[in-house]
Amino acid sequence: MSNRANGWLRGTIVRKSGVSTASSTRTSTPQIQSTSTTVFGGGVKDASGRTSEYFSMEDQCPVCKSDRYLNPKLRLLVSACYHKMCESCIDRLFTLGPAPCPICGKILRKLAFTPQTFEDLGVEKEVAVRRRIAKEFNKRREDFPDLHAYNDYLEEVEDITFNLINDIDVAETEARIVQYRQENAALIELNIQREEQYAQYLKEQEDFERQEREQRAAELRRAEEEEREEREKGRREIIDKLETSDKDAIKLVARSRLEAMRRASARSTSSGNVLQSSSRLLRSRAAQSTVVPDVPHVPLQDNWYAYEDMFTLRDNYDDPASEAVRRDREGIMRAGGYRVEQAWERALRCAVAGLEIMPLEGLHSTASDPAAVPGAGGDVVMASA
Amino acid sequence: MDAVEKANAERQRRWAKDQKIGEGTYAVVYRGREVATGRKVAIKKIKVGQFKDGLDMSAIREVKYLRELKHQNVIELLDVFSSKMNLNLVLEFLDTDLELVIKDRSLVFLPADIKSWMAMTFRGLEFCHRNFILHRDLKPNNLLIAADGQLKLADFGLARDFADPGYKMTCQVITRWYRPAELLFGSRYYSTAVDIWSVGCIFAELMLRTPYLPGESDMDQLKTIFRALGTPTEEEWPGHTKLPDYVPVGQFPKTPLRDLFTAASADCLNLLSKCLIYEPRRRISAKEALNHPYFFALPYPTHPSKLPKPAPKRSSLLPLEELDGNAEPNSSGPGVKANPPNKLKRKHSEDGMNERSKSIARRLDFSQ
Repeated sequence: MSNRANGWLRGTIVRKSGVSTASSTRTSTPQIQSTSTTVFGGGVKDASGRTSEYFSMEDQCPVCKSDRYLNPKLRLLVSACYHKMCESCIDRLFTLGPAPCPICGKILRKLAFTPQTFEDLGVEKEVAVRRRIAKEFNKRREDFPDLHAYNDYLEEVEDITFNLINDIDVAETEARIVQYRQENAALIELNIQREEQYAQYLKEQEDFERQEREQRAAELRRAEEEEREEREKGRREIIDKLETSDKDAIKLVARSRLEAMRRASARSTSSGNVLQSSSRLLRSRAAQSTVVPDVPHVPLQDNWYAYEDMFTLRDNYDDPASEAVRRDREGIMRAGGYRVEQAWERALRCAVAGLEIMPLEGLHSTASDPAAVPGAGGDVVMASA
Repeated sequence: MDAVEKANAERQRRWAKDQKIGEGTYAVVYRGREVATGRKVAIKKIKVGQFKDGLDMSAIREVKYLRELKHQNVIELLDVFSSKMNLNLVLEFLDTDLELVIKDRSLVFLPADIKSWMAMTFRGLEFCHRNFILHRDLKPNNLLIAADGQLKLADFGLARDFADPGYKMTCQVITRWYRPAELLFGSRYYSTAVDIWSVGCIFAELMLRTPYLPGESDMDQLKTIFRALGTPTEEEWPGHTKLPDYVPVGQFPKTPLRDLFTAASADCLNLLSKCLIYEPRRRISAKEALNHPYFFALPYPTHPSKLPKPAPKRSSLLPLEELDGNAEPNSSGPGVKANPPNKLKRKHSEDGMNERSKSIARRLDFSQ
């Protein structure tokens, strides 16, 4: 369906469904007529990665005024300044290099034209702007210390988006974006990676589920097959037995029925087990990877400082050993951070630690369970060196 | 066989040595397991006899302090025994270390992950400090990470207990990039604050994914620090000009941390700045740090089991090399790790990292 005159587009566009002229002449309501996969950017892609191009009977090229009535193959593309024109105009104007837009005069290039997705070009622009912004302004709630900061950030993003859409203070807004990008380069990169990881995770999950479904279907088919075979075999057996044995026919039939039933029930329970275990495995793995909760910070996880009241450290002691340090005329000990108080504290701690422990009890419990020593909590105080 | 030998033989039988997984100047590390339970362990065989003065200092330090410390965030020394002429330390087996995690560019860190690692580091350090032990060699490759994500302080080869008044301590400790200014100025009387500075550097490195203050020599280290944080004034750090090795290195203006750490929250920068205060007495303590608002603010620290970890393929080899205190295959002769001041401390791990790390900014050219 591609136009021979527009060969430059042909290589990049794959028409999924052709435009049926018969049906489009009947109706004049705007509709989405063609679905194409474009290689160059632009256009809004749906979930499967295709662009649905906007297309209506009232289409008319604003530059050459040719319309769909005279030229059913008319295809309008949108410029970077959000003006429409037809492929042949684009070809005519921009083949020789960048040239001004015939409507607003902005310099345009041929390859920067994109297919139109929405009837309203304002929407087209907004979608493009939002997509661009979302690529870089990708912070999440958890990147902020509190909800207030996050809301401020969201408001700023919306502000920037609004300015760009409505062409307010464009230069200043662009500067803001550049600044943001510089300040948050690492975080942006990180969030992109997180996004990718999440997509990857979803894909894996999906693949796994699909595999499981297929496996289950195969299992079911096999079970059916087995059952049929068995039934066949059972019937043959009965006939054989009826032929050869001289027992009561009714009894023989009843017994083989019973056997068949027992076999069937055994089969159903075993297949049920298989299904259940694989789904349980999946669930437990998912739970492990995502649902270990983060817990609030607890500064210290023992009761060491609960024994602080066993001694009081005084400001000064009559301590000849540390006299030189305390005098410290040069201030070198002070500058190095040495504190004689710490030495005193150590001496006192060593003296009082373990005071509460009964000697024999202490000896006994350290041998079996060091954590049971009251006051020590498994911690060992250094003996003075 | 006397009683001591008998006891030793009994201990030795509890552990089985498997293959060798790393070698350093004073030790060889083997993968091993507990015979009774099959639990994985690392066995560090200290080479005795090579040194005329007996056992290497760091082996003694490691045994002396690890024997006494038992905490969730400190590596556990399970047993010590001797075989023939060697001393063997049986240590907890840990999968990887924080340096490998930081270097693995395929991993993405969330603010909550960094918070979780920092909380575990401070918890382990607080435990050492409350027992009056200075670690004196904190850096990412000494922070090992267990299979369940718990971070553990390791390598107590440079640790010592808090000095009694008037006793000098050596200032040639802590790997240069993580060494505070008071040690670079040659202070012989210092305190637990030296470890806090290292933690501050690690904190910054977690956010930047590259070492924060990579000085090329001790002099250059001071310059690097001052360039990043401004030259300290006498009011900011009273008495620092009197320190033994004080030399003026030039005046650099203060630049706000915010300029470099653009995405960090205010709480986060506040804690970082408190870890990197010049005056050691005003630097935050491990206990105060654990009570800092940063740890209580949202997002909550990530649960250790969910923290990012490198893919397990190579992790069986490298981390144990790290486990070994002096694992520095290129260095010759004994010596404490931080002692030869002009050597790049990360050399061994960079050699091991081959091509992949070439694109990483931290690989600097030190040849000239």
